[in-house]
Amino acid sequence: MIIPLQQHDGAVCDSLVSVGDIVSVGQLIGDGEFRIHSSVSGEVTAVSELPHPTGKDVLSVVIKTHDGEKREIEPVELSAGKIRRIIKEAGIVEPNGHPTLRTKGDIDTIVVNGTNTWDLSSYEAIMLDHPSKIVYGLKALMETVGAKKAFIIIELGSEALNTMRTETIPDSNIKVIATPGYYPPGTENTLSKKFAKKKVPRGSTTEDRGVLVSSIAAMKAIYDALRDGEPMIKKVVTVAGAVGSPRNVLVDIGTPIGYMIKECGGCSGTPVKIIVNGAISGAAQYSDEVPVIKTTTGILVQTERDIEREPQAPCINCAWCVDECPIGLMPHLLYGYADSAQFDKCAELYIGDCVECGMCAYVCPSKLPIVQIIRYGKHGVAEMEASE
Amino acid sequence: MTYTISPLPHVKSKESVKSVMWGTVAALVPITIAAIYLFGLPALTIVLATVVAAVVTEIVIYKAASQPITIRDGNAVLIGLLLALLMPASVPIWVPIIGAAFAIAIPKYIFGGTGTLVFHPALVGFAFLLAAWPTLMGTVSIPNLGGFSDLLLETGAGRLVEASPALVLLGGAFVLYKKYVDRRVALSATILLLLLMPIVGMGSQLPYVITGGYFLGLIFLAADPITSPVTKKGRLVYGTVLVLLILIQLHFDTYFAGMCFAVLLMNVFSPFIDRNTIPKPIGGK
Repeated sequence: MIIPLQQHDGAVCDSLVSVGDIVSVGQLIGDGEFRIHSSVSGEVTAVSELPHPTGKDVLSVVIKTHDGEKREIEPVELSAGKIRRIIKEAGIVEPNGHPTLRTKGDIDTIVVNGTNTWDLSSYEAIMLDHPSKIVYGLKALMETVGAKKAFIIIELGSEALNTMRTETIPDSNIKVIATPGYYPPGTENTLSKKFAKKKVPRGSTTEDRGVLVSSIAAMKAIYDALRDGEPMIKKVVTVAGAVGSPRNVLVDIGTPIGYMIKECGGCSGTPVKIIVNGAISGAAQYSDEVPVIKTTTGILVQTERDIEREPQAPCINCAWCVDECPIGLMPHLLYGYADSAQFDKCAELYIGDCVECGMCAYVCPSKLPIVQIIRYGKHGVAEMEASE
Repeated sequence: MTYTISPLPHVKSKESVKSVMWGTVAALVPITIAAIYLFGLPALTIVLATVVAAVVTEIVIYKAASQPITIRDGNAVLIGLLLALLMPASVPIWVPIIGAAFAIAIPKYIFGGTGTLVFHPALVGFAFLLAAWPTLMGTVSIPNLGGFSDLLLETGAGRLVEASPALVLLGGAFVLYKKYVDRRVALSATILLLLLMPIVGMGSQLPYVITGGYFLGLIFLAADPITSPVTKKGRLVYGTVLVLLILIQLHFDTYFAGMCFAVLLMNVFSPFIDRNTIPKPIGGK
């Protein structure tokens, strides 16, 4: 098991263990501005920099598991004042790396993202299996932050729609909303504007406007923390694509993705690309030794056949990227300006607002690598501003 | 085991420039067949000659400039076919051939090729021919001679495209559904024009607008992705101003060419409209 000490947006945690230590399930192994717990029992065999799903190497704790030595986790006694502390100490993180409990300010509305892309279905699986736990977690979070209402956003046509609607009938302040769209992680401002009707100015967060954007996985994790005393050490992950039996699995955090692929029937055909967190917004991995971390929602295996290698054509101004951009940017213009190194123009067109969800490059009929060039543009803008 | 890494996204939609261009060509096939049915052999020769002329010109020019030949993307075929459809059935065969060569050489190649061009090449070709040989290009079309059935097969048609308004709309519905042309431009222009005409007292001229030529102009030419604006607001502005220009042209009774020149004029303003309608991103102040 490999447990990275950075599984959220922020600094790497300090390791509380060293080689040779014996750890047990749920034991705190990383602390700092955030908390990381061991998902297994065993012996620490290494604390070193290892591959991380984001593509860089991050300080990680490697644990050799001892079979059958799972420590019993004791349920926590609940008192209203304790809830906030428990949620915080459980180290719960959203798929975009933001801690779920990230504000002390007043929150009026909670928006729970339950939308998945076509290749991922982990949220749907959680909703179908544990609708009552989600509602429990949501109510606890609402009480903690003082929110008066909450919206659960689910894609139209999802099986979970009815389940969640039935589950929330008694609660007039929780509303299930069906939407045709898909909201990639990171589009908090979009969700806030569309469902909570609160526009978030640049430079501030949705929390400043009294809106907390969270996800289905976090609601389940809150339930686990409050009722079972279990910190965030497990994750429901979709294994999809060219594998023997694609499915949603509940795994311990730290499980190498190569092991999970094997457990799901192995690769059918020669794997060429392994992608963490969805075909559109996810990151391709150079190693299958990378572990599942708190932000992981899916693993996709692609063979040569699945990989798009169509040649590029010039932009034809079709405006599909403009229609698709959840932020309201002009992706084709950013592409053109960044490609020709006109970084001042990129900055004028708010290149920094791009959340790199990948929808523009997905729909582009000219097959332009828009996200890649926009990243280059962001880098260029940063350098330009640094030199001023 | 080594794996390929690349920036996101790791899947791309099936649509490509090729599918957009060839899809638009496919949408024009029904009206082309109707034109050949109505006008017979002359229509067939015009269509074939224009398309071949466009394709050959593109091959020759791009080869001479040692640039990759992009015939397969379907753009030259589309330009040729659109130009052919704008021709009167009685036109001598060499006229559309010159028009197609001009359309590829000047408005397409000189202006930078697919994607960067400013004016719709088929329209420029048409305008060039109209200016050069007005007598050959002039035609008498008297729409709706036979009443309602003329929507299906226009017996009073003078130009190829006017053979059947219904079939142009059918192809138009397809490209609008697939988003191969801009929905906002096409729908705002078409609906606004049909609504405004009776209001400004031009209701009696409506038959001249409910023709294949107008539907082709508004859906396939004005809403062409390359030459129309990109911003959401800009596309509505484009469609609206276009309708106002058409109404002015109609007032002076040059019903078909007027529409073409209105679209060409709007092509000029397209970048200007874009620049002034850049949206504020979510969170923008």
